[in-house]
Amino acid sequence: MITAQHIQHSFKIGKKGKERPVPVLKDLSFHVEKGAIVSIVGRSGSGKSTLLHILAGFLKPDSGTITVDGTVTSDFNETDSAAFRLDRFGFIFQNFQLMPGLTTFENIELPLKLKGISRTVRKAEVNELLQQVGLQEVRDHYPNELSGGQQQRVSIARALITNPPVIFADEPTGSLDSETEQEILALIRSLNRTRGITFVIITHDDEVAAIADTIYHMHDGVLAAGGVHHAG
Amino acid sequence: MQVKDQFDFVRQHIRKNKLRVFMTVLAATMGTAFLIILASVGFGIQDTLRKEILDNRLVTQVEVYAADLNAEKAEEMKKIDHVNAVVFRQNVGTWQKSELDGFTTYSQLTVSDFKEEAKAGFALAEGRLPKNAQEVVVGHDFAASLYDESAEQTEQATAESDEETSESEPQPAYREAVIGKTFTYELGNFNEEKSFGQPIQLTIVGIAKAPAKDFIQDSRIYADAAVIPELESIYAKGMPEDNEEPLFSANLNVYADKLENVKSVTQVLKKDGYDVYSISEELDQIDVFFLALKAGLIFVGTIAILISSIGIFNTMTMAVTERTREIGVMKALGAKPKLIQRLFLLESAWIGLLGTVIAVVLSYAISMLANFVLPMIVGAALGEDGFSDLDVTFSIIPWQLVLIASAISLAVAMISGWRPARKATQIDVIDALRQEL
Repeated sequence: MITAQHIQHSFKIGKKGKERPVPVLKDLSFHVEKGAIVSIVGRSGSGKSTLLHILAGFLKPDSGTITVDGTVTSDFNETDSAAFRLDRFGFIFQNFQLMPGLTTFENIELPLKLKGISRTVRKAEVNELLQQVGLQEVRDHYPNELSGGQQQRVSIARALITNPPVIFADEPTGSLDSETEQEILALIRSLNRTRGITFVIITHDDEVAAIADTIYHMHDGVLAAGGVHHAG
Repeated sequence: MQVKDQFDFVRQHIRKNKLRVFMTVLAATMGTAFLIILASVGFGIQDTLRKEILDNRLVTQVEVYAADLNAEKAEEMKKIDHVNAVVFRQNVGTWQKSELDGFTTYSQLTVSDFKEEAKAGFALAEGRLPKNAQEVVVGHDFAASLYDESAEQTEQATAESDEETSESEPQPAYREAVIGKTFTYELGNFNEEKSFGQPIQLTIVGIAKAPAKDFIQDSRIYADAAVIPELESIYAKGMPEDNEEPLFSANLNVYADKLENVKSVTQVLKKDGYDVYSISEELDQIDVFFLALKAGLIFVGTIAILISSIGIFNTMTMAVTERTREIGVMKALGAKPKLIQRLFLLESAWIGLLGTVIAVVLSYAISMLANFVLPMIVGAALGEDGFSDLDVTFSIIPWQLVLIASAISLAVAMISGWRPARKATQIDVIDALRQEL
């Protein structure tokens, strides 16, 4: 499904004209199977978020290639990358990243609007999904009127609305209490099993990582030796 | 994203920042209204001057001057492109007198081709045009020019005998309808002020429409060209044999089909060696002057719009800065940079459009108010009661001005919003997502 080959990336730090590169990803290669849950675990600064940004197309690697379902995405320009994301990827963020001025319904509807789907179709699809994720009662609430767990559910619903084959989750439970965390993890697992969605989860929490079929450990920009772990 | 959704998106954001958007729209309105009103004064003054020139004058008329004007030359002129009519009038240049029911007038007789006169706009107040040599049309003031000669002589005698009466009483005027009446017309020697003694009978079949200007009086007798031989025969018999003065003096006017073609007709006539005068030459000079004036006023007005554009630029820059995270989320979800740019350009265009629409409505209101109030104020200031009755237009807003002002206003709004919109497309997704809520 997703293949990363020899990915290298570095950030430049220092004053303008005197910048020096700091390597973040060092010749990184790995593969994500279709329908799998993959966790990438590592401490802050290990490069796991940068890897997610490169996989999602927010960032271009200095070298190496990313292939998604046979399409080389690492060569895309910004416009093609955006179109590809809209079509193939969903995102769950640690801070939910909901639009504060939009209601639950409107937030979930947003990707469909971006795709140019008609209002009638959008309404039907969002209503169906709202019921599936149990958000019917808060459909007209704004994000600041929702609990953290509800906000993350909205965020998950927004990621699901376009039926993407892959969802990237960046610290999906980082802002939630342990009870809500379990709920969200159960939802992810269920979506993986029922819909066959591939999840790539970035986390520093071993408990979250444990729901994955495959766990990659990142350390200083490389997958640590023997870091590949196949969960039960 | 569907167009309707794009507008919804813009509307949502505008609703969130009502006050700021209102102030920006207000600035755009003031700038555009200033431009329109300023330029409308130029249009108003130009219109007033043009009206003053064109008032009561046939704008398509080209006056032709030459020593040897004749009917053949008039025929030739009819062949020029865009010539609608050629009116060749021959005015009797000797002593002449008309008598109707004992009332007398010394009105001039003019011979013309009524077919051409009608094409040139000669209109009747009542009756019809002459069909033969004995029928005539008289000017609107012909009846008023008739007076009782014998009564006048009696009054003069009374005035001379009465020392206290220094001014004569008004003449008894002819009060009956003249149409259908037959009167005697006679020619005479100008130097002797005496008739040749061969009166002819002419019947009034029509009365010409009154001249547009009140101070012009038309008491002429308009006869058909068929009467010429008879008049010339009387004249030839009555005058000494060595007389070289012709009976008629000619004047010739050419009428173009449209005002725009007056210039080309004038040029052809000039080329043919005639001295000509047309209103287009006078108007050309005025139009050139006012074109420059209006361009200057629009330029000054545009500066006002440019100043208001700073408001739009600030508003849009603030909007982009405030929405950095939202833009980042949209980009992360798959919004293309072009869409982001379009959404912000739409917002600035909407501000410009709303400002323009309000400005146009406001400008028309101010213009109407100015045209209503200013003549009264100026009249009161000058102490001239009649000033308000004068046809002075202070402000005119033609649709072309609305179009120009709207185009400038919208273009400036779009240009002001372009840079912030461009900035929005360049927002880095990762940086935007890192922003605190």
